[in-house]
Amino acid sequence: MKIVCIVNGERRELEVQPLRRLLDVLREDLGLTGTKEGCGEGECGACAVHIDGRLMNACQVPAFQVHGRKILTVEGLGTRESPDPLQAAFVTAGAVQCGFCTPGLLMASRALLDAKAAPTEAEIRAGLAGNLCRCTGYGRVVEAVRSAAGMRSGREGEDQSHPHGGPDVGSPVPSADDAVQVFMPNTLAEALAVMDHGEAVVMAGGTDLMAAFHAGRPLPDKVLDISRLRELTGIMLSPRRVTLGAAVSYTDLLNSTEVTAHWPALAEAARQVGAPAVQNMGTVGGNLVNASPGADLVPVLAALDGVVVLASTGGERRVPVLDFYKGYRDPDRRPDELVAAVELPRPAAGVRQAFFKAGTRRAQSIARVNLACCARIDTQGRLTDVKLVAGSVGPTIVALRETMAYMEGRRADEGGLDAACRRLASGEVHAIDDVRASADYRRQVLGNLVTKFVKIFV
Amino acid sequence: MKVVGKPLERRDAWDKVTGRTRFLADIPLGEAWYGGVLRSQVARGNLAGIARDAGFDWSQVVVITAADLPGPNTVAMIREDLPLLADGEVSFVGQALALVAAPDRATLAAALAALRPDITPSPAVLSMEEALRGETVIWGEDNVIADYTIAPDDMAAFEAAMATADRIIEGTYRTGYQEHIYLEPQGVVADPRPDGGVEILGSLQCPYYVLNALARGLGLERDRLVVRQSPTGGAFGGKEDYPSVLAMQAAVLALKSGRQVAMLYERHEDIIASTKRHPSRTRHRTAIAEDGSLLAADIDVVLDAGAFTTLSPVVLSRAILHAAGSYNIPLVRIRGRAVATNTPPNGAFRGFGVPQSIFAAERHMDRIARELGVEPLALRRQLVLERGDVLPHGQVLGEGNAAGALVLERAVTLSGYEKRRGELAAANAAAAERGDPVRHGIGVSLVHHGAGFTGDGEDRIATVVRVRGEADGTVTVLCSSVEMGQGAETVLPAIAAEALDLPLEAVRYHQPDTAAVPDSGPTVASRTTMVVGKVLVQACDDLVRRARAHGADARAAWSAQAAAGEALVGEGRYEPDPDIRWDQEHHHGDAYPGYAWMATVVEAAVDTDTLEIHPERVTAVAEIGTAINPVLCVGQVEGGMVQSLAWGYLEEVKLDGGRYLNDRLATYIIPTCLDAPRFEVELAAEPSPRGAYGAKGLGELPMNGGAPALAAAIEHALGIAPDTIPMTPDRLLEQLQARAQEARP
Repeated sequence: MKIVCIVNGERRELEVQPLRRLLDVLREDLGLTGTKEGCGEGECGACAVHIDGRLMNACQVPAFQVHGRKILTVEGLGTRESPDPLQAAFVTAGAVQCGFCTPGLLMASRALLDAKAAPTEAEIRAGLAGNLCRCTGYGRVVEAVRSAAGMRSGREGEDQSHPHGGPDVGSPVPSADDAVQVFMPNTLAEALAVMDHGEAVVMAGGTDLMAAFHAGRPLPDKVLDISRLRELTGIMLSPRRVTLGAAVSYTDLLNSTEVTAHWPALAEAARQVGAPAVQNMGTVGGNLVNASPGADLVPVLAALDGVVVLASTGGERRVPVLDFYKGYRDPDRRPDELVAAVELPRPAAGVRQAFFKAGTRRAQSIARVNLACCARIDTQGRLTDVKLVAGSVGPTIVALRETMAYMEGRRADEGGLDAACRRLASGEVHAIDDVRASADYRRQVLGNLVTKFVKIFV
Repeated sequence: MKVVGKPLERRDAWDKVTGRTRFLADIPLGEAWYGGVLRSQVARGNLAGIARDAGFDWSQVVVITAADLPGPNTVAMIREDLPLLADGEVSFVGQALALVAAPDRATLAAALAALRPDITPSPAVLSMEEALRGETVIWGEDNVIADYTIAPDDMAAFEAAMATADRIIEGTYRTGYQEHIYLEPQGVVADPRPDGGVEILGSLQCPYYVLNALARGLGLERDRLVVRQSPTGGAFGGKEDYPSVLAMQAAVLALKSGRQVAMLYERHEDIIASTKRHPSRTRHRTAIAEDGSLLAADIDVVLDAGAFTTLSPVVLSRAILHAAGSYNIPLVRIRGRAVATNTPPNGAFRGFGVPQSIFAAERHMDRIARELGVEPLALRRQLVLERGDVLPHGQVLGEGNAAGALVLERAVTLSGYEKRRGELAAANAAAAERGDPVRHGIGVSLVHHGAGFTGDGEDRIATVVRVRGEADGTVTVLCSSVEMGQGAETVLPAIAAEALDLPLEAVRYHQPDTAAVPDSGPTVASRTTMVVGKVLVQACDDLVRRARAHGADARAAWSAQAAAGEALVGEGRYEPDPDIRWDQEHHHGDAYPGYAWMATVVEAAVDTDTLEIHPERVTAVAEIGTAINPVLCVGQVEGGMVQSLAWGYLEEVKLDGGRYLNDRLATYIIPTCLDAPRFEVELAAEPSPRGAYGAKGLGELPMNGGAPALAAAIEHALGIAPDTIPMTPDRLLEQLQARAQEARP
């Protein structure tokens, strides 16, 4: 496949295999070895670069997706003679030790300061949370970023003719030896026609797929790219609901004032799902279809009465998120169907929502237990519309039906309610034992988190 | 001093922040072949043979099994028990069975998949306890790889104290694995030479260890072997012993194929194959007099060595030499054993056994305080080692070696420990009252660490450092101490600049290369600044002496000589100190030339709903002699501290049948920026007469102090005493449930 992109300000025409990792294109094809590989699965951030100004992990980006994009790597950030203020700050503050994570940390720091000139310490730490460093303990790194805050990047004068992307270059040109056929349709109808013709692997953010391919999952014959499909990348609001396109990213959710105002649990899940690079790449649809039992968004979408919209040439089919999983990693989707969106009704007035996650660490972690909750108090002071959906405790998300039924209609200040809910929630799931946590832990924590939600109303 | 003590910029920093530093995987390979390893999937068994799929075209690759090796089948370290390739007996999951080199990665993967080992499994020993029981013997006669005892001079008095004490306080403490997760995975590239030798370029800590392993394993003379270090993206001990394995694998493939062979591990293979920190179990029995004073301590340390010796005896030695902690106890007996299990061999990791034994010592101090009803801080103040005190192995703490009380008091003051302890306890009571799930706690630890090799180890290494005068008036430092992030490339030139009265820019550092630099020993054991730095000063003095034979202005003289093609080279050699006494057999005498000290105060939060721990604030005071570069020193303390804290609560390796379950970065969890605490670090100096400009070793010290202080903070927060790390939510839950059971009538 022939692609065109701008790398560090320079237009590049490249012949690539469509699913080749951007990381390999940069390092091997372009000799830009400043971008490092530390894990190959989006965990360490050593390969973080900017694509159209957004931080992304180059190990999770397929080459075809950078067609028409603008890429910035550490080599383009600055030189010793003309450095970015962050580069100078890293040197001065002692933020560099072995240096292997440094390029990725610098790119994350630049993205952070580009978005917010004077971040707080908490914002700095959150902004760098997707970049593992094993040498520094992060103290000097945080100090370096703080000291460079407010200083202009050395690239102010560069070509800004494509502020929201790279050159307008049309579609990439397939080559005879492409191992994979990539479809990059412009309309949903075209996309559905591709789905209709047989098994295409749908790719949006690519965070899970690219790591899986690299770990040895056989490459598909066909890939359908939905990352630029306007019909799937929008957040559409109506008086009764919000429709989240399948290719809406976690960052899009966090940037939407409507979402954060009316669906705070969803925003909280999007905040906790990963660190900036993954939030910029991962999508609502990907989280649903990947069907990991530990997915963070899914229990929230279920608790908020979300409905999955599946589109095919035969029309649309709607399935409640709670009913979408038939078993472990087995979503209710026909091969010809595309998850187009998820619809969330507007919550009734007074609904309280919460998303709790017990993870392995404070960012970039897979849940040991997560729990999405909503409920409201009716005019008689009773709990109603109670929804409790847990993730990461079994093969699929699970609604805590006994606990929900028990809470429904009871006064929130009823004596012993929290203890009863704790007991019920701990008892009603068949929790799994795995590398992350014991079944006993999962049951106990579920009880604790339900109790925590109940206490919100007291 | 003009250079020493100044917070000068790292010399490698600009290349690193601009992406110009070329780590091994960044160097274009050209025609190189890729090397790979066929690994055992069983923990123990008998390898009858390795079948090759007939459908694969074997002519396009090179395959090596044990039968094809050119030299003895061994990776030489302390012993030669570790075979390069399994021959008959298989001893751990991940053990190398065969090596393959192929022209590209896809062919390599296909070839590895087309090899089918025929292994008959046999009963495996999968825990320290099983190994000690000895019902199944997998190593030697009794599974014991090393067994050392430090005995008190007056054994009868010790036995009497243990037998007649008013009470004995006992505790058992366990620590888990730790994977280094240097951000740059392991790798080497091997080049065959026309003379039948081989050259290695690799990410490694100890060029001469690799050279020794190659000489022994290939049966080649050293003059046909070269080992060069590539810029190394973190190591922490993980690139001390393992690169010898990797270099041997690549070397035999290069020699057989006649081609350059690259072995660049990806993270998953790195975690499966490379060494980890030894898990440990330590028992303390302490004899207490009626008045509460400590009479004697009997300590038993067991390390899980994995299937082969690697460096375990030396790790064990260092572990027991620190096992009594930083306190003065009159009569101490310490026994240590390293036992074999059918798990991947464990190896060097920052701290080298001390974090394990000192975790137990610190937790036991907290247990004694609890049982005696005194404050943990008060007990430490009462028992802290002072100048003139004698360590269990008979070493008298002399000048510059006894800063325990100094760092403890300073850390207590800086952190407001005593006030905060009360405030947090009150805040916890208030939180419980209003149903807030978060509790806070504060804990203190006091640790020390001996720098340099143990006992007469430095005599045996006999460090050599050279300094060459260049024509432009600069000098080049020639030594085998590598830059791996810790700052050797900056600190050693700073020492030379000071010694030669040159600006730092006028001193160069030669990337370690056995063809060009002398053997100044491995880059380990917190020895580089202190020991190698001191020999470097001698080398500088020697250069000046030689130069002055040619003219009064030394710099002008060495420049002129170099311009004339007769460069002057100053040489320093480690000189054994006649005052140092050491009895290796009994682990008795002057174990280390210098001890560095650190007190750590950790404030941590625990969410009682989820039992997630967050270390929020760390105050660390480290006495390290003269800080050659204070910015780098603070960086070492903060980085080592986060590793130590994370080992204490976050980092976990679970095994199933001898196989690591946490074998990717998605499951082996290290801290992010959000998990790390805020730091207040202060350096204190009691300059050591044995180190360069009074410097002492620093690299490992912070690894000792974080985990025990964090455990003490959790004890303060929750009222349970965590004696096993990592303090995972599962473990905390178990302990809280046990306490709830006990509380029931």
